Amino acid sequence: MKGRRNWLIGLLICFIAQGAMHRVAVYPTWKKYDMPKSTGIAVGLDPSQLLAAMAGFRELVAGILWVRADSFFDSGNYDAVLPLIRLVTWLDPHQLDVYATGMWHIGYNFTDEESRSDRRYLPAAIALGKEGAKQNPNTYEMFFETGWLWYHKIDDQYDRAVNYFEEAAKRKDMLQARHNLLANAYQRSGQVDKSLELYYKLFDEAQSRFTKDDVFQARQIRDTIENNLDTLIVRMIQRGYFAQERKDGSFETGPYDVRPPYDVGYSVKLTVEEPKVIRFEGTWNVLPVGTRIRVILKDANFPHSIPGGADWDWGDEIVMDPDANLTYMQDQFYIKNRRFNKKIDMGRDPTIYPFTGDDYIVEYYYNPRSAAAHMQDKFGFNGEGIADSNFLNTEVRPGQRVIFAQMKLTRDQLLRRGKYRDEVPVVMTKNFLQSSTEVSGSDEMIVVPNLRTQEKKPEVKPKTPVNSKPRANPIAG
Amino acid sequence: MGSAIVTKSLTKSYRTRAGQVNVVDALSLEVEEGEIFGFLGPNGAGKTTTIKMLLGIIYPTLGEGYVLGKEIGDIEVHKVISYLPERPYYYEHMTGLELLKFYASLFGIKDEAKCRDLLEKVNLHNDMTKSISQYSKGMQQRVGLAQSLLNDPKLLFLDEPTAGLDPIAHTEIRNLILSFRDEGRTVFISSHELSEVERICDRVAIINHGVIVAQGRLDDLLRGGRIEIIADDVSVALADDLRGKLKDATVSLHEGRLIVDMSEEGDQNAIFDAIRTAKGKVVSIVPRRKRLEDIFVESVKAKKGEVIGGAA
Amino acid sequence: MKAIMAIASTTVGEAIRRRVLLVILLVGLFFVMAAPGLSVLSARQELTVLKSLVLGVIQLTSAVIAIVLTVYMLPNEIERRTIYTILSKPVLRWQFLVGKYLGAVAALGIMMSLMTVVMLLMFVIQVQVRDVNRLSELVQGPAMFFIQMSLLAAVGIFFSTFVSPLVNFFLTGGIYMMGSLFNPMFETMASNPNMSGFAKNAAWLVNAMLPNFADFNIQNRIINPESVIQNPMVHYMNLTVYGLIYIAVLLIAGILVFDRREV
Repeated sequence: MKGRRNWLIGLLICFIAQGAMHRVAVYPTWKKYDMPKSTGIAVGLDPSQLLAAMAGFRELVAGILWVRADSFFDSGNYDAVLPLIRLVTWLDPHQLDVYATGMWHIGYNFTDEESRSDRRYLPAAIALGKEGAKQNPNTYEMFFETGWLWYHKIDDQYDRAVNYFEEAAKRKDMLQARHNLLANAYQRSGQVDKSLELYYKLFDEAQSRFTKDDVFQARQIRDTIENNLDTLIVRMIQRGYFAQERKDGSFETGPYDVRPPYDVGYSVKLTVEEPKVIRFEGTWNVLPVGTRIRVILKDANFPHSIPGGADWDWGDEIVMDPDANLTYMQDQFYIKNRRFNKKIDMGRDPTIYPFTGDDYIVEYYYNPRSAAAHMQDKFGFNGEGIADSNFLNTEVRPGQRVIFAQMKLTRDQLLRRGKYRDEVPVVMTKNFLQSSTEVSGSDEMIVVPNLRTQEKKPEVKPKTPVNSKPRANPIAG
Repeated sequence: MGSAIVTKSLTKSYRTRAGQVNVVDALSLEVEEGEIFGFLGPNGAGKTTTIKMLLGIIYPTLGEGYVLGKEIGDIEVHKVISYLPERPYYYEHMTGLELLKFYASLFGIKDEAKCRDLLEKVNLHNDMTKSISQYSKGMQQRVGLAQSLLNDPKLLFLDEPTAGLDPIAHTEIRNLILSFRDEGRTVFISSHELSEVERICDRVAIINHGVIVAQGRLDDLLRGGRIEIIADDVSVALADDLRGKLKDATVSLHEGRLIVDMSEEGDQNAIFDAIRTAKGKVVSIVPRRKRLEDIFVESVKAKKGEVIGGAA
Repeated sequence: MKAIMAIASTTVGEAIRRRVLLVILLVGLFFVMAAPGLSVLSARQELTVLKSLVLGVIQLTSAVIAIVLTVYMLPNEIERRTIYTILSKPVLRWQFLVGKYLGAVAALGIMMSLMTVVMLLMFVIQVQVRDVNRLSELVQGPAMFFIQMSLLAAVGIFFSTFVSPLVNFFLTGGIYMMGSLFNPMFETMASNPNMSGFAKNAAWLVNAMLPNFADFNIQNRIINPESVIQNPMVHYMNLTVYGLIYIAVLLIAGILVFDRREV
């Protein structure tokens, strides 16, 4: 061919140009936006899937696997789902849905929302949530979802939930309604002023949107926020927030609901009735329904243990198979007629409760911040209204007044071995009275002494009507 | 008249495991303008390779070649030559007319009327809107010829133009090729069947194993055939007399019928005279011309002889 | 130029009639249409899985079409001897090769457009996506895939100038895989403190030399619209330019080989 030399020169120029173009203009953008931030390796992919995944069809394979995971959810084959979740997130780390539902399923053990789930999976769930947030820093979703796990499932250490919700709120795509949850988390973490501030801000925004565009949805959001704001202000009044602000702890109508603190009179006795079966009996001198006292049984050397639970953030590694030698049981006592009596059988789940350690701790924990609103109205945001002559604790959760008690059990006691083969192990608090758990009909009619002290206006009901001017600052006014 | 094709020691060799093989070996040809030139040889003799070299589709290993005065491979020449490969396949999804328009566009010709005319010339005007996949072999060959005329070529290369066709199609194609000569074109036909080319070719070259074994006017090449003369009422004396006179002939007599098988070049008139003088009656004179096979066999023998002779 | 266009349009006509390609295309279209039925699982983010499936199907189908289309392109022409009638005309070999390539790309474009249209219809009709912005965002995926597949087709054409279709199939497929994989691999190597400087430089060089198909895998940002990309159009422009230059590289290389090739 004539001019073969010219063609060769052209080839060389184009070759260098493409390399330069790639390195200078294309690769940096790819790295910034399109690089699959892989974590871990592709375990569990069959060769065709692996091939397809490697050939650049990661998202496709992720989609197919996620579709397959669905059938496992349906058939209850949860063991198969866990690796799939890891795999899908590895293949397509932008599949928020997989991160979110995966984290939810791991954290809640697929089915179990309220009762004794296997909490040893919580570190994996949190790590998955953290990774999801890291991989998808531009959207609020995984921050919110991880916050929700702290807020709802762990239901303690609310500052963690607040951190995640705050991160979520920085993202523009967070739904309006979800900002309310941040306000709630603020309240639970004791930052009531921030909650109020946020509600005012949200209200202003909602109001201006509504003014701009008078559609039903805008009105609804505005009204909801206004309602929440009103409720918060009422609760702040009721729970003595502003009274405290006044330093003398009083309010113009007199000392408030949280004063004086109410002694809940906690006592408990545990009986190892059979191996791994424990009966808990005890008292809680509050009549209104809705009280739930957290009970925890865990290895004495349980990792990251804290009083009343554990710090479940164990790092960034997603370990889908928790240490099979760890024992951690968490449950709740429901108070009825000021008493509780609950049998917890840990013998049916040997994988969750392996009891391989020698020493165990049983903890009882009541945090007013986790309580229902009507209870908190008495106990206050930080437990100002709660007291207990034996178990009031201001140290395990700094800045809060919680009820906390601890007991020790040995493996022999729990499994009824050695000398406990015949001797029934019983551990009780020193204030426990056997008779106090026996119910008599007249006990139902207790007088609750802790509602507002009725000096001047005995006719005033505990729940005062809502202030009609929500924007007026009660302190200033 | 000038030469349409000239090659000098054109050689194409390939390396195989067995060593170097010369598919075309020092081929020297000359084709006059305006003639129909037959390029004959058995399958695998190197005919198509030669044509491809002349067209610049493959490159000669050695030697040189000129087509219409230009060195082979010169793209300018392609404007005035055309090529019909052996048993060609055309894009089957096209109709005859579309195919012609496609090939026309390769020349930069945008003349649909010309395409139609050519299809008419090859007697496909009724089928030009049918897709090629519905064409018979003969029709495909004719559409091939039509495409080869698109650029009004001075020189046409036709590779086995009648291979695989029925006798009627043969005749049609043959007539078309003859008409090309009448239009003043040079036609270079390759074929392995002498009967196909002998009726239309002016000159031929015969190639075997890449080597030209014979080249020249067909009449010249086929000269050297034999003639069989049969006569009745011939006496034994005459037969003996003829046997004595004719060295290069077989003479047989059976119940008064004489059969003389003699060389074409022999003096036939003398035999006729002798028979007539002896009151014999000539029944038939049958010339038996040389066939391509004969030339092949002769050439192969000759070549073997050469090789053997050379080796000895 | 006329010759190139004529060869290209003939190639398109032939390609869109090839049964094996049509079967692949139909399978792809089937999965695009069936995808909503497969991804009913996640109501919360149904579209995420759906988009990832549909874009993945389009990409996979296009890649297979691009490879199958190009690996046979020259060998078929030679086997059927159609190439001789063309090369004996005043058509240069590079014109033939470029014409063939453009035809392949046009055929790919037609088939990918068809899949894209079906995808859009599926989203509009079955999933009730009516937002024009979201739909046009969806089209960005196939648009970049088209550049990617054009590059892949150039790889296929380049190899088809000197290897057999079967070998070419695996060769082109292998290059596609490497090109899809090497970017992340390179990134891992570059950020690995234990790698020697030489190995890093070698990786850098390979990264600069390979056709990096991974660059065109932009579907993540479409599947997950939360990701905020600055100046996506500039990036798409860069990608296109990169693709075109690399295509030129492969075509010139192919021409240089094909020119010496005995057909």
